Amino acid sequence: MSSSNQSDSGAGSPADATVQSFRLTLDSENHIVPIAAGETLLEAALASGIDAPHTCTEGRCGTCMAWLRNGDVSMASTRALSKRNTERGYVLACQARPSSSAPIWLDFDL
Amino acid sequence: MQIGTIESVWRYPVKGMRGEEIPHTYTAFTGLMGDRIYGVVASDGDPGHPWHTGRDQEEFVLYKARYNSGEELLLPKNLDATYDEWAPGIDPIYPDTDAFKVNVETPEGVTYDDIEDPAFIADLEKITGRSLRVHVTQRGQFDARPVSLISLSAAAKLGEDLGMEIDKRRFRANFYVEWDDQDDPFYELSLVGKTLKIGDCLEVAIVERDPRCTMITLDPDTAVATPKLLQHLGRNHGGDAGVFAAVLQRGRVNKGDPIFLK
Repeated sequence: MSSSNQSDSGAGSPADATVQSFRLTLDSENHIVPIAAGETLLEAALASGIDAPHTCTEGRCGTCMAWLRNGDVSMASTRALSKRNTERGYVLACQARPSSSAPIWLDFDL
Repeated sequence: MQIGTIESVWRYPVKGMRGEEIPHTYTAFTGLMGDRIYGVVASDGDPGHPWHTGRDQEEFVLYKARYNSGEELLLPKNLDATYDEWAPGIDPIYPDTDAFKVNVETPEGVTYDDIEDPAFIADLEKITGRSLRVHVTQRGQFDARPVSLISLSAAAKLGEDLGMEIDKRRFRANFYVEWDDQDDPFYELSLVGKTLKIGDCLEVAIVERDPRCTMITLDPDTAVATPKLLQHLGRNHGGDAGVFAAVLQRGRVNKGDPIFLK
């Protein structure tokens, strides 16, 4: 799995993404969440009726922080992620968009 | 009508570091004297919030900052005179710059007698890999509003909901309060738009709820993160805990002071 700022260049750019759904774990339950092109993982989860944690949706508060157990995403902002949480593979669901065709597994049960 | 009591008074000499409980304080329009006088600024920080805090380095909340001057920074020396002889009250004189000197103890037990000692920042830069500098102002550098307040009942209820003890210090408030005869553990959230009188002089307007971030996930004694606390707030309380206040009338506040709804 990997995450990156959207300004990063090279492989894994949003244009490469072909993911149409992803796995989401919340409260020990697994969901398969459809995702449209350009959507964030949080937007997709909310559109599916999942009560995914979130507040500001601007990458500031960190409420939507989750573990990217698999897949690749790019994030426009990572300001609510500490260095340690970034190294753990945590991402901000409100900022994360698929950046490759690798299957995504997002786990909120931190 | 009295609605509660000040359980404790806290200030944070260095923004983001451990706070200190104090017996009383002078609260000005710019907040508590001695609150968030220092901050550490990161050159790669967000332009709107460049501070280096526990959001960036979890253990930063374990750093202990103390004023070398002790009681000199609790109340301005001429505070009483500014009330007694100069209606409606004159802003008192703050202590001289030297009184604001702060010493810092790291979680490893290393002590710097002055946070402005270049060795402090040099060592912190080594730990964090960031380019940092100390910023100081005598009138405080809080994030949003000069005064913050939260009830013990709110912290207790959140702990009950999550099945864990929630230390009130996670919320880094200036005033921790106990409400009288309230069934609502989050009563302070209903006070937005209201004016409170605290103690003999201080009057504050409760202006908004306090939107929380990852800082509250950090245990104040271990810096271990519990993200589910912030998740719970987001899913059940709009992400808010406690309230912000603006100061309408300056004044002294003591631990145990009554809180009145005006």
